[in-house]
Amino acid sequence: MPEPILKVKKLTKAYDDKLAVDAISFDVKKGETFGILGPNGAGKTTTLEMIETLRPIDSGSITVDGIDVSERPNDIKQIIGVQPQTAAFQDKQKLTEIIEMFAAAYGERVKAKEFLDDVELGEKANDFAESLSGGQRQRLSIAAALVHKPKLFFLDEPTTGLDPQARRNLWDLIRTVRARGVTVILTTHYLEEAELLCDRVAIMDNGKIIALDTPRNLVRQLLKRGFTKEQHTEKANLEDVFIDLTGKALRD
Amino acid sequence: MEKIPNKSWQTQLRTVLVFTKLSTRRFFRDRLAQFFSILFPLIFLFVFGSLTKGNGNVTFSVALINESKTPFAAQLTHNIENSKTFKVNSSLTTLSAAENKMHQNQLDGIIVLPSNFGAMQPGQTYPSGQANVLYDESSSGTGQTLTSLFQATFANINTKYVPTKEPFSVKGQVLNTKKLTSFDYTFSGLLGFSIIGLGIFGPVNVFPELKKQGILRRLHTTPLKTWQYFMATMFSQAVTGIISIAVMFAVAIGVFHLKVDGNYLEIGLFTVYSIFMILGMGLAIGGWAKNERQAAPLSNIVVFPMLFLSGTFFPRYLMPHWLQTTTNYLPLTPVIDGLRLLTTEGKNLIDIGPQLGLIAIWFVLIYAVAFRVFKWE
Repeated sequence: MPEPILKVKKLTKAYDDKLAVDAISFDVKKGETFGILGPNGAGKTTTLEMIETLRPIDSGSITVDGIDVSERPNDIKQIIGVQPQTAAFQDKQKLTEIIEMFAAAYGERVKAKEFLDDVELGEKANDFAESLSGGQRQRLSIAAALVHKPKLFFLDEPTTGLDPQARRNLWDLIRTVRARGVTVILTTHYLEEAELLCDRVAIMDNGKIIALDTPRNLVRQLLKRGFTKEQHTEKANLEDVFIDLTGKALRD
Repeated sequence: MEKIPNKSWQTQLRTVLVFTKLSTRRFFRDRLAQFFSILFPLIFLFVFGSLTKGNGNVTFSVALINESKTPFAAQLTHNIENSKTFKVNSSLTTLSAAENKMHQNQLDGIIVLPSNFGAMQPGQTYPSGQANVLYDESSSGTGQTLTSLFQATFANINTKYVPTKEPFSVKGQVLNTKKLTSFDYTFSGLLGFSIIGLGIFGPVNVFPELKKQGILRRLHTTPLKTWQYFMATMFSQAVTGIISIAVMFAVAIGVFHLKVDGNYLEIGLFTVYSIFMILGMGLAIGGWAKNERQAAPLSNIVVFPMLFLSGTFFPRYLMPHWLQTTTNYLPLTPVIDGLRLLTTEGKNLIDIGPQLGLIAIWFVLIYAVAFRVFKWE
């Protein structure tokens, strides 16, 4: 078994007496896609922000690729890529310039056009960021987070607010990133998305991890406990109908 | 465990230069930013420049009521109308209309040449008469000056008709040819105003918006350091500042006949130095504030006292002495004084050591605060 790229031990964070993250521990293996699921306020974003060095840790420890997050936050920043929930960019800035700017922030020089081609934005290279659609902006944001070839890539609810075509396109993109050997950690509200993309998922509630396994095993365990779905499962659902009728092609 | 090498200083500086280049480029695409940093100060320059136009010479706005038909009176009228000292309101032909205007404080005085003015008296070979200068009680100083002006003029004429040798005489002589005009003060004040707008209102308006959209937070997930971000902002503001100040100089020279008695390189260096210091206040306020509601009042508290007390809109020499002494040390005062000394008083950077020193002290204090309070979100 390969050495885990991320090790989280007894990680704890409190806001005014309320435990947002309550002594959670988990590992993420090199190259896997790991999902963190949970209702709003479960502590997903706080957990991510502590790993991303944006929030101080109350107690416990995090190491990324053997580097302690609280000891060497700047080194951590160099090996992680972060895609925030909202992909916002300054106005009057060309796409190539945004890529160039992020590369410079990491001390890198890149061919911006290649990164844009990677996320199918090559044709828009000289457009301003404000002219992009929601899905395009997410793709630009992913390209910007990958300019320095990070080992670990975080996506916070990447497909929230996107139409089904754009979501599918983004799933493909995440799979491509994974295929390059990048470890992906994502949070999502869409369980179908987690099932499709993630090798393993952690389900959080009230600051604790209440389940952690592959999606298939989690379902099996549930069935073992004697769970049966009330409804008869259809072989297709409304989303399948929608995609069948409108096609998979991107609309933006 | 992999060792991550430290970045060389060249790489770190390159990051600063790329950010500088990109934000300067953004400025050239942003009409609103251009308006506020270039056109807005120009509007003030036109308004205040027109108010203080001229080279500091006094002119009197007068009405001239000529009731005499004599050639002498006609000649005098002609001379007064063409004189630079007098601005004759030719629409006023009756005494009552002129008095009315004077009570409204739109005239400095009324000159009346009575009907017998300039006529030859019987038995005399030269014309004579008495002109009347009427002035309002409230502006007796102006009225007395007007009266003595006419006395001097007539004394000159008198010696031509009746040659006499005067035992005593007085002659005014100009000593200081580089006398400062009120426009010189206005101009350096407006340069200061322009630097304030650029350095403080710029970041104070932009940063809270960048925070709201999460743009600064996103940059914080990268290894970009606060000093790199500050430095890039300083450099790109220096570029826009130099453009804005150069446009103001061009207009001041072309339209308001500003005489620059100084070295443009020194003025440019001093301008950049001043922008760096003033920008620190913008970085501190904009960097500290979580949103516009925090940023706006704080920036007004900082900016308004400087606008009124550092000589932006009216010169500080008009202030009572105690106020001048206390406002000497405001951050903007040495900026405006330094700019005026370099531009119109023929001083160079070595002469303005006190100003440079005071700016340096403020620079250290302001950036110490700015680095401490800066928040990325």
